[in-house]
Amino acid sequence: MNEPPSPRFYFALLRLLAKMRGGDPTSAESNAAEAWFGSVALYGISYLYFAAFVPDTLSWWVRGLFFVALAFLVMLFWLLMLYLNSLILKLLHTVGLFRSLPIRRGQSVLLVVTATAMAVALSQRDSIVSELGAIWLIAVTMNLVAATILALGNGDPSRP
Amino acid sequence: MNTGTGVAHRATATEDRLGRFAVKGVFWRKYLDWAAINLPFFFYPVPLTFFTFFFFFFAAPAQRAIVANLAVVLPGSSRAMNYLRAFRTLYNFAWTISEAAIRRILYEEFSYEIVGGEWLEELGTAPGAIVLTAHMGSYDLGAALFAEKFHREIRIVRAPEPHPETAEHLSESLERAGESGVKVDYNTAGALLSFDLLKALREGEIVSIQGDRVEGNVAQVESRLFGAKTKMPTGPFVLSLVAQTPIYPLFIARAGCRRYKIIVEKPIRVQSTGDREADIGRGVAEWCGILEEIIAGHWDQWFAFVPIFAK
Repeated sequence: MNEPPSPRFYFALLRLLAKMRGGDPTSAESNAAEAWFGSVALYGISYLYFAAFVPDTLSWWVRGLFFVALAFLVMLFWLLMLYLNSLILKLLHTVGLFRSLPIRRGQSVLLVVTATAMAVALSQRDSIVSELGAIWLIAVTMNLVAATILALGNGDPSRP
Repeated sequence: MNTGTGVAHRATATEDRLGRFAVKGVFWRKYLDWAAINLPFFFYPVPLTFFTFFFFFFAAPAQRAIVANLAVVLPGSSRAMNYLRAFRTLYNFAWTISEAAIRRILYEEFSYEIVGGEWLEELGTAPGAIVLTAHMGSYDLGAALFAEKFHREIRIVRAPEPHPETAEHLSESLERAGESGVKVDYNTAGALLSFDLLKALREGEIVSIQGDRVEGNVAQVESRLFGAKTKMPTGPFVLSLVAQTPIYPLFIARAGCRRYKIIVEKPIRVQSTGDREADIGRGVAEWCGILEEIIAGHWDQWFAFVPIFAK
C-alpha cells in the first residue's frame, strides 16, 4: 500500500536505526509522529531566529504582542519561502539541472538549508537558544550521514 | 462526464465580493493542489494547524453550523466544548482534503482497512447499485479507491458549487483522481438527472450520492436524526425503488496519517408494497439509523458545514 522502497528518505537517521535493529528501513516513513517532529522543529528554529529581532527596549506587553504576531509572520515567511523555492526549482529544471529530483524533495532540501542557516546563527547567540541551534545542526548532520550510509548500502533508484 | 453546470446560484454577497478568494472559491482549491506538489510530508502539520485557525474564523458560518449540529449529536455537551470540537472537525477536514489532493495529484497510495468487507465485495460485483454516503471523511478518495479496486465506473452525484471555476476545477480533479473510473454529476439538472441516473442503474452502473443533507430544491422528506427533526433527500430511495437496486451505505473515515477506514453497512433494500410514501419512509428511517451510528462514532469527521437540524 505504501511507496516503493528506496534509499531516499526524509528522516534517514530513523531508517538507519530501524535497519540496525534488524527492522525494515523502508517501512512507514510518512507517519504522523515524524511529520509533527519535522514540522515543529523547522517552525521552532525559525521562530526563535526571528524572535531575536524583537527589540528588548519595548515594554513587556508590546513584546508579548510581537511574539504572538510573530507566530503568524513566521508562517507567512515559510509560505513565501516555499513560493520562492518553487521558482528556483522551476528555473533549475528549465536549465536542465536536477530534473530527476521531485519538487517536494527539492523543497525539502531548500527548506532544511534555510533552517540550518538560521540554526547556525542561533548557535552563536549567548542564550539557551544556542543549544537548540546546536541540536538542530547535530541532527541534520547525523541525518545526512545516515542518508549516505543507507544510499551506499542500497543503491536503488530514487522514488518520486 | 458532467451533467449540469455544477454551479449553484446561491453565492452570498460576501462570496460574490471575494470571488475566487471566498471560502469556497477556486483559489484555495488551486493552492491546495500547489501545496500537494510542493510540500514535503513533514511540513504539513504546522501550516495545517494555522490554516485551521484561519478558516475557523474566516469561515464563521461553517463553524457556527458545526457547533449547532454537535449540540444535537452530542446532547448535554457545552457550547464552549463544541467550539473546540468544531476546531477539531475543521482540523480533520484540513488533513482530509490535503491528503485527498496528495492522492489525486501525486497518485501516492494510502493504506486502508475495510469494515464490512462482505458488503463491499457484494457492491463490487453488483449489477447496478446506489452508494449512499455522507459528507464524512474523504468521500472523493473513497470513490477513486473503489473505481481502482473493482475496475468499475462510479458516478458521483454532488451538490453544486457556488463558483463556476470551483465546480470546473473540482470535476476535473475528481475525474482525474479516478482515472476515468469516476464520473461527476451535479444535482442541478432536475428531472433530467433523475432519468439519467435511473438509466445508469439499469445499465448496471454504480451511483454514489451524499444523503446526509438536502441541497437546494431536491425532493425531500422530513425525518428524525438523533431525535431531532431534519430533512433527508428522497432521491436515492426513489431511484432504489424504481430501479429495484439496493442502497449500500458507505463511509470513508480518516484513521490516521494516510490511513483510512472504509465502512460499508448492510444494504438497504427499498421494497415496493404499493404505498410509495411508506416504502420510501422506511428506507429513509433505516438510513437515518445507520447515519446516527456512524456520525456518533465519527462526529469529528462529519463535514456538515450547514445547519442540519430544524430549530
